[in-house]
Amino acid sequence: MRLSLPARLLLYASVAATCAILVFPIYWLFVTALSQPDQLRQLPPKFWPDAPRWEVFGRILAERPILLWLSNSALAALGAVGLSMSVSVLAGYSLSRFRVRGGQSLGLFILAAKMLPATLLVIPLFGIFRMTGMIGSLWSVVLAHATLIVPFTTWMLKGYFDTIPRELDQAAMVDGCSPFGALFRVILPVAAPGLAATALYGFVLSWSDYAYARTFLTNAQGSWTANLGITTMKGEYISNWADISAASILVALPILAIYLFLERYLVGGLTAGSDK
Amino acid sequence: MKPFLKTVAAAAVAATLMPGWTPSAAAQQTVMKFVSWQKDERGVGDWWAAVIKEFEARNPGVRVEWTKVERGAYADTMTTLFAGGKPPEIVHLASFEFQKFADEGWLEDLAPYIRGSGLDLKGWAGQDACNWKGKPVCIMMLYFGNIFAYNEELLKKEGIAPPTNWAEYIAAARKLTKDLNGDGIPDQFGTGHETKGGAGVYLTEMMNYTLDAGGRWTDAAGKVTIDTPQMIAGLARWKDIVRSNLTPRDLSAGETRQMFADGRIAMKLDGPWLYPIIQRGKAKDQIRIAKVPLDPPVGGSSNILGIASEIPADRKKLAWDFIAIATSDRFQTDYATMAASTPPSPRAKTDGARAATPHFDLLVEMAQAASRAGVDRIPRGLEIQYNEFAKMVMEETQRMIIQDLDPAVVVRTIQAKAVAIQRQ
Amino acid sequence: MIRLDLARPSRHHWLGYALLAPAVLLIAAIIVYPLFVSIDLSFQNVGIARLDRPRRPFTIANYDRLFASPDFWNACWVTLKLTIVVSAACFLLGLGTALLVDNRFRGRPLARLLVAMPWAVPEVIAVVIFAWIFDSSFGLMNWIFISLGLADRTINWFSDPSAAFAVVATTMVWKGYPFVSIMSLAGLQSIPDDYYAAARVDGASAVQRLIHITIPSLMPVLGVTMVLVMLWIFRDFSIIYVLTGGGPLKATQTLAIMTYEQAFGFHRMGYGAAVGVVTLAICVVAAKLLMRRAPDHL
Repeated sequence: MRLSLPARLLLYASVAATCAILVFPIYWLFVTALSQPDQLRQLPPKFWPDAPRWEVFGRILAERPILLWLSNSALAALGAVGLSMSVSVLAGYSLSRFRVRGGQSLGLFILAAKMLPATLLVIPLFGIFRMTGMIGSLWSVVLAHATLIVPFTTWMLKGYFDTIPRELDQAAMVDGCSPFGALFRVILPVAAPGLAATALYGFVLSWSDYAYARTFLTNAQGSWTANLGITTMKGEYISNWADISAASILVALPILAIYLFLERYLVGGLTAGSDK
Repeated sequence: MKPFLKTVAAAAVAATLMPGWTPSAAAQQTVMKFVSWQKDERGVGDWWAAVIKEFEARNPGVRVEWTKVERGAYADTMTTLFAGGKPPEIVHLASFEFQKFADEGWLEDLAPYIRGSGLDLKGWAGQDACNWKGKPVCIMMLYFGNIFAYNEELLKKEGIAPPTNWAEYIAAARKLTKDLNGDGIPDQFGTGHETKGGAGVYLTEMMNYTLDAGGRWTDAAGKVTIDTPQMIAGLARWKDIVRSNLTPRDLSAGETRQMFADGRIAMKLDGPWLYPIIQRGKAKDQIRIAKVPLDPPVGGSSNILGIASEIPADRKKLAWDFIAIATSDRFQTDYATMAASTPPSPRAKTDGARAATPHFDLLVEMAQAASRAGVDRIPRGLEIQYNEFAKMVMEETQRMIIQDLDPAVVVRTIQAKAVAIQRQ
Repeated sequence: MIRLDLARPSRHHWLGYALLAPAVLLIAAIIVYPLFVSIDLSFQNVGIARLDRPRRPFTIANYDRLFASPDFWNACWVTLKLTIVVSAACFLLGLGTALLVDNRFRGRPLARLLVAMPWAVPEVIAVVIFAWIFDSSFGLMNWIFISLGLADRTINWFSDPSAAFAVVATTMVWKGYPFVSIMSLAGLQSIPDDYYAAARVDGASAVQRLIHITIPSLMPVLGVTMVLVMLWIFRDFSIIYVLTGGGPLKATQTLAIMTYEQAFGFHRMGYGAAVGVVTLAICVVAAKLLMRRAPDHL
């Protein structure tokens, strides 16, 4: 159905304007990163720096352990997602395919767990990790992130498995598979996009944590995650917005890249688990 | 999906072999943790870097991991680090915050180490403040007096002479705050104070004006003396300066110092550490250093070094070695030149400092003035509760500014709350 | 060989339990146990939680203090205000952008990508961006406000309580609307075209189609989405803590921030735990009220 010309123009204009405004903050981050610091301390602001200093990214990479921060974030996320997914795939499948006593209550509990504020859980975890000497170790953050991820991934996966007809499992087993075989060799490949989206969501949840990282990792520079590293830069004596912006861009790049690559799966993956 | 799970498992195993996973470093090196807010600060930061270099040179196989935590969150972060059982071995704290740590037993008694290495602390400026219940739990690293720095050009342009008292100061500040390019936003400020550095620093900034008005947080006996006419006058002054926007708002110490060094702020009251920053600023040739026009000047003890008590004995020895280097005659002498501040050691040779820092004698004079007037940022009677006291005062003062409250009423609130905190 | 008829799952097949076991164990260890520790702590007068030392005596002093404390009620009020303001804005913006992008036009995939991009930006980075834009001295926003005549002097975004609230709300809306947008878009795509075709045949205008077909069809998805958004706002820590720390004068101190500040700022972990437990209780009750449907859908 073709829209009339004025309607089409209006549509294009609205889309362009909306996108421009909503993405502008990200653009501004770039502009700030490329500006000379003393130019930032003047008004009116420049919408594109006079002499964009592209070399700032190289310099920040050399000055700050950005790569270390990123690898710590990645390690923590991989660990947390690995742990959570292993457990959630099995649990989600069970909740979807079997009727177990207490399954309903477990479901409700997992739901409630989604409402747990991190700031509440950080207190007992602090006490526990202190006792076990894990403060400063990435393990503390892996476990803490799992508390964020497992409630979501279990439900998303259950919902996703629900959309896969049971006949498929049945058929696989008729063909001679054990239930585990059915799960791993037939169901999971079919559920691949949902699994990927769920894992991605878990990865983003872990990556975006700050509360746990700040509480458990401050004393171990070598374990700092990206978020923690950036906030220490922000608290510095001379708030060099240009440098912080450059560091921020470097730190946000991996997640943005993942997002760009997997965006098309996101819609499908997120909704599969939530709505029948 | 099996391959997916396999790769995740493999990655997890590989990850456990990477550093950062295990609480103790896998490397052969011993790592000593040193946390400070002065890292990356021009002048004193360079001095610490020199101390670290010397320490690492003398102790091969030992590395110092130097972490910066910003002033605003310093007390809270350090307390959490200690509470988490993983304190930094080398403890650096502001003079007004170490008492709570000493009270919890987190600071090592330094007496045996002082005796063992023969460190002579007689005449060591401010060292008395480091005695907690009869034991020396830290070494004072700086005893200072504020300086007054002003941009001669800017003052000349307005036809103002450098102020010599409060009345002249506030008049000058008003004249010097202006909008230069007519866009409605002031580009030049009469003075500059940090308002984002955390409560301890906020109070220090306020003290510039409250001390001159005669106000003190507590008296020599530790009684809270905030509900006094002098403190009312002091608070009124602070309120005036902030509400009239004579200082840029919401800036940290570094930002205000940089703005001053670049000629956007006309007058600045600050510690000796201001000087190295001025030296790198755009307006360095227009800036002059003079005596603080307010009396007594802010000053007193600044920051301390200590050793964490809940660490193994060999680490304590290493931490003491670090302190020994920092307090050695050579490095105390270097402190005068590199940090442009008055080293606490009576044996530091300050002639070289005079060459690098022309106003060095002024620094000494101001430190002595502060000492004579019994000025210190540590309020007697509220040492252990300082963190909470400062946060409360800052909040009530901010409330006074934002809601335009009468200082006479505000002092009563602060007095009551301070007494309650003291009783806890 | 395990005999299993999945079309009619037997009630107590051991495999079901076996598959659930790892999850249950993990959740018990990292969520249930700590939660009990928290509740336990909230009934003790404890400063710094040292679990290897003997327990302190049971007391309800923390809760007494909590309910009598004006700061607590302030935190409740701030949390409520923020939740309503940010949810409403996320709803409108998220749904609006989804509706816009759902049309067919060239460059649609790109528009979809851009519109949801803030979701991928880490919260801490969003804070860096907006803290700079709202910088009181040199930020873009003050310049825009003054140039457009919306203000006659610079607004101290971080020293003024209402202004700081606005900054926090804006940052949260920017971070929160993409989720609503993505979910709405998915929901929109599942509405059969026939409905619209039929409506058009019946002479319904675009607005009528929106009100009578689109929104009702989206209700299930939107309902779930908005509950999730509200829970996120309730729980958020990174954005508010790094942006304003809960200030000025506690104008942005939500319950989550108060919990953290009491525990790690004032080192009163018993009291902080009490605040946290009450927060959780409010969350659970609110979520139950908001969701009249079975929890299945979440």
